[in-house]
Amino acid sequence: MKVTRREFIKSQAAVVAAAAAGVTLPASTTAIAQSGDEGLRWDKAPCRFCGTGCSVLVGVKDGRIVASQGDPDAPVNRGLNCIKGYFLPKIMYGKDRLTQPLLRKKNGKFDKNGQFEPVSWDEAFDVMAEKWKAAIARSMEENKGKPVEKMTSRVAMFGSGQWTVWEGYAASKFMKAGLRSNNLDPNARHCMASAVGAFIRAFGIDEPMGCYDDLEHADVFVLWGSNMAEMHPILWSRLTDTRLTKPGCEVHVLSTYEHRCFELADNPIIFKPQTDLAILNFIANYIIQNKAYNREFIEKHVQFQKATTDIGYGLRPEDPRERRAKNRGVGKKHPSSFEEFAKQVAPYTLDYVSELSGVPKKKLLRLAKVYADPRKKVSSYWTMGFNQHTRGVWVNGNLYNVHLLMGKISEPGNSPFSLTGQPSACGTAREVGTFAHRLPADLVVKKKAHRDFAEKIWKLPEGTIPAKPGYHAVLMHRMMKDGKLNTYWQLCNNNMQAAANMNEESYPGWRNPEVFVTVSDPYPTVSAQAADLILPTAMWTEKEGAYGNAERRTQFWRQQVAAPGESKSDLWQIMEFSKRFKMEEVWPEELLAKKPEYRGKTLYEVLFENGQVNRFPYEGQITDDRGNVYENHESEHFGFYVQKGLFEEYRLFNSAPDRIKKGHEMAEFQAYHRARGLRWPVIDGKETLWRFREGYDPHVAAFNPNVEKGDVYFYGNHKSNGGRANIIFAPYEPPAESPDREYDLWLCTGRVLEHWHSGSMTRRVPELHRAMPEATVYMNKRDARKRHLRDGQIARISTRRGTILARVETRGRNRPPRGLVFIPWFDASRLVNKLTLDATDPLSKETDYKKCACKVVKA
Amino acid sequence: MNICSCVVHTRPERGAEIAARLEAMPGVEVHGGEAMGKLVVTLEDTAEAQAVDTLSAIGAVEGVINTVLIYHYGGDDIEQSIPEEDHP
Repeated sequence: MKVTRREFIKSQAAVVAAAAAGVTLPASTTAIAQSGDEGLRWDKAPCRFCGTGCSVLVGVKDGRIVASQGDPDAPVNRGLNCIKGYFLPKIMYGKDRLTQPLLRKKNGKFDKNGQFEPVSWDEAFDVMAEKWKAAIARSMEENKGKPVEKMTSRVAMFGSGQWTVWEGYAASKFMKAGLRSNNLDPNARHCMASAVGAFIRAFGIDEPMGCYDDLEHADVFVLWGSNMAEMHPILWSRLTDTRLTKPGCEVHVLSTYEHRCFELADNPIIFKPQTDLAILNFIANYIIQNKAYNREFIEKHVQFQKATTDIGYGLRPEDPRERRAKNRGVGKKHPSSFEEFAKQVAPYTLDYVSELSGVPKKKLLRLAKVYADPRKKVSSYWTMGFNQHTRGVWVNGNLYNVHLLMGKISEPGNSPFSLTGQPSACGTAREVGTFAHRLPADLVVKKKAHRDFAEKIWKLPEGTIPAKPGYHAVLMHRMMKDGKLNTYWQLCNNNMQAAANMNEESYPGWRNPEVFVTVSDPYPTVSAQAADLILPTAMWTEKEGAYGNAERRTQFWRQQVAAPGESKSDLWQIMEFSKRFKMEEVWPEELLAKKPEYRGKTLYEVLFENGQVNRFPYEGQITDDRGNVYENHESEHFGFYVQKGLFEEYRLFNSAPDRIKKGHEMAEFQAYHRARGLRWPVIDGKETLWRFREGYDPHVAAFNPNVEKGDVYFYGNHKSNGGRANIIFAPYEPPAESPDREYDLWLCTGRVLEHWHSGSMTRRVPELHRAMPEATVYMNKRDARKRHLRDGQIARISTRRGTILARVETRGRNRPPRGLVFIPWFDASRLVNKLTLDATDPLSKETDYKKCACKVVKA
Repeated sequence: MNICSCVVHTRPERGAEIAARLEAMPGVEVHGGEAMGKLVVTLEDTAEAQAVDTLSAIGAVEGVINTVLIYHYGGDDIEQSIPEEDHP
């Protein structure tokens, strides 16, 4: 039988779709599919877009990715793929892909006000190193005679939750150990920091206790500030499947505006911004008033505390709102009791909270009842609605309070679950510890024992790592504007577009003549164009990588294709740049005196040729179990298996016998190239689905040998309180800025399905661009009419900080209630962050992108 | 040339009816799954519509509960990009 290539590919496509759906196809179709070979090399890779962590199969032909399909062997997506996965191969082939370093120059020399000109990697790193060395010299002068607790630094790196695990790890080591600067923060600060803060406060260890398997086990799903239908479509299709097939299953959706998830909602709830804090306290109050709480669980497994209140909004200290706050930025928790907690939530009555939140009583009661019903398994999901919140840590915590009162936690179906925005916000930003206050595996720079441990693994003299947390994301921009931070290297994200309050902080900071900004990116993003030096980056499967998703699953991939032109991975860039520094230029004499053998060496030799990272030879190619062969451009260049060396050194933090924090164990490197990911802790090669419960998590019995069968033990708090989770009372406090007479509307920002990561890659794909070419202002029809605006007309949206123009949309996928408008932030020609306020959660330092006051008029 | 496949979820009793409506769309073929309400569908670029537009159009068909992409082949025209002036 003779078939055309087109027919063959089509039947192949049909056969894999049928397999994913469990449908049997007629033999005529399957026969064609079996008649030949597509001529493609297929290999697995996790998707590089959202935090779900779907695995896709990537089809390569003649050095290009030409096809992709949902990976049928992946437990996360089971052969399914979302629209973003469809476009994965295309994001690498945008027409304006950067292929060589670009430096701002005038008259043949670097000039901050010059035009971008192509330069060699050598020239790029020469100029960059000169600037970094000058800033480091100033810091060394300023730090003379200071203890590590007081050290500051004028250099900074801004990393990413899209970095591979080893990129984050190399960055952390380069900055914290090499340059002795804690000014390393990821863009995950903008999306996950509040979740992290709440995990540590309640459980003493980061990341969810449950996993995606809860999606099939739950009876009730509650979405709190998560538009899962658009942002995590594969999880949404699993949830939809359960809702449609399990009798009695229901879905509650809470948001400040109506979005696509509302189509499936049995209890749709629109609440006034910030009142989620009060709604959760109402549910806790309802549970207590009705004596529905799980007394035995509380007595055995819970400790009560209360938060310090009136903590401000993370604005600049001179802001009147900060001056008014009694306990600005104070995170201290105070001891409490069940009785005191009951008294504190008692004012959150149905009447009061319904009035405050604008939610009808019937809906609030229906929601409270599902949590209070011991027979119903409840899984709660949230993303940026909770996290990008000036009380983000509190609101995360208030939800844990509800689950803990009922003991609905750490078992199939009962799961408070923080969803992730980026593919490796968990794996790289959180687990590796690329935050300004962290070290790998949940360790923190503040604790001497943790620094000592890191210094031992990294073979550094005692006192190398500074003890003072560095500048977090928002503070970096303020410090650049103030001239206290002089070099800034942004990799794998688009912070000029992403950070709040661009007009007053980000832009003046980046263009400050005292500051030298480097941006590493595959494309000329808004950030790249605002930089002084642009470095072209190898992306996704142009390098070997590892990501960690929201359910603690670590997944690896191999380099599939070569990057265009002179593009190199961020890992290559960091390691290669470290060769530019002699130890004497970055460490003072008294530190070098403790390790004289490091004298005269380069930072590269000390950090990466330390006998650990360069331990594994590179054979000149990577071969998989099926005999397929792949390149690895970093290993080729440095002469050893770079990724393996870095990962195995990283494992000393989370898996070595003397590790400080148990519970993050990972398998050896090669295991991940074989498996479709493994969920940590991985003990004896076995992954853990539900943490803290005997029978699922082997750590429980190890920490608490007397544990009863199937019982829980929150071992993250083993040392601090004997393994109890903390219920921490936190009240409702108002937002930093609310609508008033002049700025009379709420402004909420967020994403849309078609565009991810500020559109830096997805806007390069013609079909996606066409589907959603520009950001519109979604508003209520009556609000529009009142302002004489009709659908499709241009509106002028202003806040106290700036103005943008956008088309009005009143019938679209997002439908705000009266008094609120929503604008997505992917559009580089309509920068919504000229409008937003850089108020943060004072505890997590995460910006609140979800609420400030604006006005809308006809343009 | 874009060729892709997807699974289209419908209520089982409406599978055949919706399959017929999808078949009327340009570049669409339904290969099976009508009885289960999980239609196995392939789409390809035609003169009238690109596969991805057809995919969105399928999502908007009344009675379609969910559309999940499975396979995508983007062989030859992968070079195509958005016009320069649209870039920031």
